[in-house]
Amino acid sequence: MAGRRIVITSGKGGVGKTTTTANLGAALAKRGRKVVLVDTDIGLRNLDLVLGVEKRIVFDLVEVVEGRCEVRQALIRDKRFPSLHLLPAAQTRDKTAVSEAQMDALIGELAEGADFVLIDCPAGIEHGFRNALAGAREGIVVTTPEVSAIRDADRVVGKLKERALPHSLIVNRIRPEMVASGEMMSVDDVREVLRTDVLGIIPDDEEVIDTTNRGEPLVLDPNQRLAPIYLKIARRLEGEKIPLTRLESPTLLTKLFSMWKAG
Amino acid sequence: MQAIEPVPTAQLEAPLEQPAPPLGRAIVITSGKGGVGKTTTTANVGAALAALGKRVALVDADVGLRNLDIVLGLESRVKFHVLDVIENKASLDDALVRDKNLDTLYLLAAAQTREKEDVETGAMVALIEQLRARFDFVLIDCPAGIEMGFRNAVAGADHAIVVCTPEVSAVRDADRVVGLLPNGWKPELIVNRLRPVLVRKGKMLSVEDVDAILRLPLLGVIPDEPGIIIATNKGRPIALDAHSPVGAAYRQIAARLNGENVPAPTVKVAEPGFLAKVGALFGGR
Amino acid sequence: MLRGTKSGLEFVFASEAGEAELSDLVARLAERPDFYRGSRATAIFHGAPLEETGFGGFLATVREHGIELDGIYGAAEVEALAQRHALPYLGEPPRPVVTALGQRRPRRVVASLTDRARSLDADFAGAREDIARRRARGEPSVAKPDFSKPATPRAVPPAAVAAVPAAPAGPATLYHRGTLRGGQILQQIGNIVVVGDVNPGAELVASGDILVFGALRGTAHAGAQGDAGARVAALELAPTQLRIAAYIAADDARRKPREPEVAFVRDERIAIAPHGRAGLR
Repeated sequence: MAGRRIVITSGKGGVGKTTTTANLGAALAKRGRKVVLVDTDIGLRNLDLVLGVEKRIVFDLVEVVEGRCEVRQALIRDKRFPSLHLLPAAQTRDKTAVSEAQMDALIGELAEGADFVLIDCPAGIEHGFRNALAGAREGIVVTTPEVSAIRDADRVVGKLKERALPHSLIVNRIRPEMVASGEMMSVDDVREVLRTDVLGIIPDDEEVIDTTNRGEPLVLDPNQRLAPIYLKIARRLEGEKIPLTRLESPTLLTKLFSMWKAG
Repeated sequence: MQAIEPVPTAQLEAPLEQPAPPLGRAIVITSGKGGVGKTTTTANVGAALAALGKRVALVDADVGLRNLDIVLGLESRVKFHVLDVIENKASLDDALVRDKNLDTLYLLAAAQTREKEDVETGAMVALIEQLRARFDFVLIDCPAGIEMGFRNAVAGADHAIVVCTPEVSAVRDADRVVGLLPNGWKPELIVNRLRPVLVRKGKMLSVEDVDAILRLPLLGVIPDEPGIIIATNKGRPIALDAHSPVGAAYRQIAARLNGENVPAPTVKVAEPGFLAKVGALFGGR
Repeated sequence: MLRGTKSGLEFVFASEAGEAELSDLVARLAERPDFYRGSRATAIFHGAPLEETGFGGFLATVREHGIELDGIYGAAEVEALAQRHALPYLGEPPRPVVTALGQRRPRRVVASLTDRARSLDADFAGAREDIARRRARGEPSVAKPDFSKPATPRAVPPAAVAAVPAAPAGPATLYHRGTLRGGQILQQIGNIVVVGDVNPGAELVASGDILVFGALRGTAHAGAQGDAGARVAALELAPTQLRIAAYIAADDARRKPREPEVAFVRDERIAIAPHGRAGLR
């Protein structure tokens, strides 16, 4: 049975597509699934950096599509998760080097040998975005609880609906204390605008920048606050019904209660 | 035989035509990576320049994903957009939206339901030319990426400001963009969302780390603050907030762009050894 | 015909072995005199073997280019010829296998892959092995830069000029002043000298040596057409990845070099030494 082909997209840049692709892929691999991550941001590749494998790139997606190497030569296996592979983008080319049909055929081949193919989509809605969608059969839309991001996510949800791609939502970088004080939109606010099922809610965490700089996905370290969250999202993706964690700040009552308990 | 008719000197000395007024500067705000603060920077630098009395036009070149209007709180006032002007469905005057707070600040919004490929590069260049004739500064908010949208945004400009956050991916993408800008340009850098506490803890790149790769003249450093999100959601540029250090940073940048002698932020090189000197000699575009 | 297989080179003579085929082979070997040096080969005669003198000439040419003949295939009459020249007689010519019919790998969209190709058992060394095998088959170890067109046109408005100069044909040294940004690539048959930095994401590909008078942080491939004697030198050698001929190396530990260094191939690996030492002048 061919694997699932999921595009991770957003419209707005910088909301966490690449970080989500890397960590969700690692979480699935940790659960023993065969996962292939595909970086389609030709010319602006970053997934290799986030995974820490940039020095091991020999061939890339464009060279596979042009027939200059085999898929298996271009795939990089993650040393930390043996069932996780990356197909890197090309850096010295641009997105017109690959057509939608070629991308579709390539993702199809990858899906033959994997349980999940996660496609990291570039920002925007131009050629690169269309290529990334071409290979997918479902989508995950990543957004932050912020007006511009939601507007862009809305545009992208429209495009996914146009192609009849089932999709769900991840709300990233939420700050419960700001939601509580009314300075930030809540998940329900977001859900109301986008009218999409929520796959996961991820709080803002200052460790993210450091781990992406160092190329060490959060999921590696069970002490990381976000590690169990990505694992839960992976389980939900596979169909488990896990309720969403309410991330709101503790109410006054619970604060008092915990203060009393601490004595 | 005809007599030679002397021409009065006054007529000879009068200039035949008035010299054209100087064109405003057209600056594209770009980055490569999305989400580093291009739109916020465009809005705030524009607002700060307008607060200094300059005539400023802000152009949203992110066709299909427009956001500049939201940051300025003008989304309900947009009637026509860039493509309407290019396709002659509306005049520039109809499309330019005046800011709520500053009367020398105008917005030309992007089309939301169209695609970037709908904009023809030549038309974009002509449009920016028209704006330069009427404004002191034309700031072009560039979309993320390096595709057609990026190329169109750069096409009409004569200078670039590169916005970069202190993260490895952002630096890589900014470097890529710098390599794609026209030869001869000397783009300036704004480092955005710096968190000195994290830098000291070694959990974030420093300005020096960013400079080591990009080697661009530093226009400004903007600290990270939750206030920015609130300001964006409220549609009031933080540059107008007298108490915010972020606002102050944007105001300094505007002053610098305006030619004022504000001391530029320096990049401290920890060990000015052999390599740093050589790098400085040959680094840069 | 000359073709490469898993087990080495094959000199294949069709039914009507003749002078023409032999001179073709000689010319082919002469094109790149040292390319096959050290290879092992077999000769296959599908029809009548060459005449004595022709065969002698063939042997001489083959040895001249440093190729070792492991044996000869052919019909019974070939056995005598083999014995006379002290070469093993390997028997009847092997049945041609479809995949060994000496076709260049066709450029195709990834529509049908062999099971091996589809398998996800990717590994870093496997890529090197493939490069070496392709070299043995006579294909370039790295896709050769195309010099019929100038360097990839940049995505810039028409008024601007391309950021990097077009590479001239023929061996020469390309001199580039200024920093190479991520995504930019310089390719040259000959050497490359960059005065400036080479940022991560930038690539240098040269058939000869590479010299960076600045920090090399991108990827450099010297000896790209197979010259393992090529070198990479830089004031600050901190590349994302280094390649010399078919060797690839990446330094997982983040190096902070304090002096100019040079990289070269030694004992089947890429080694790095401070410049000026190790007798590299």
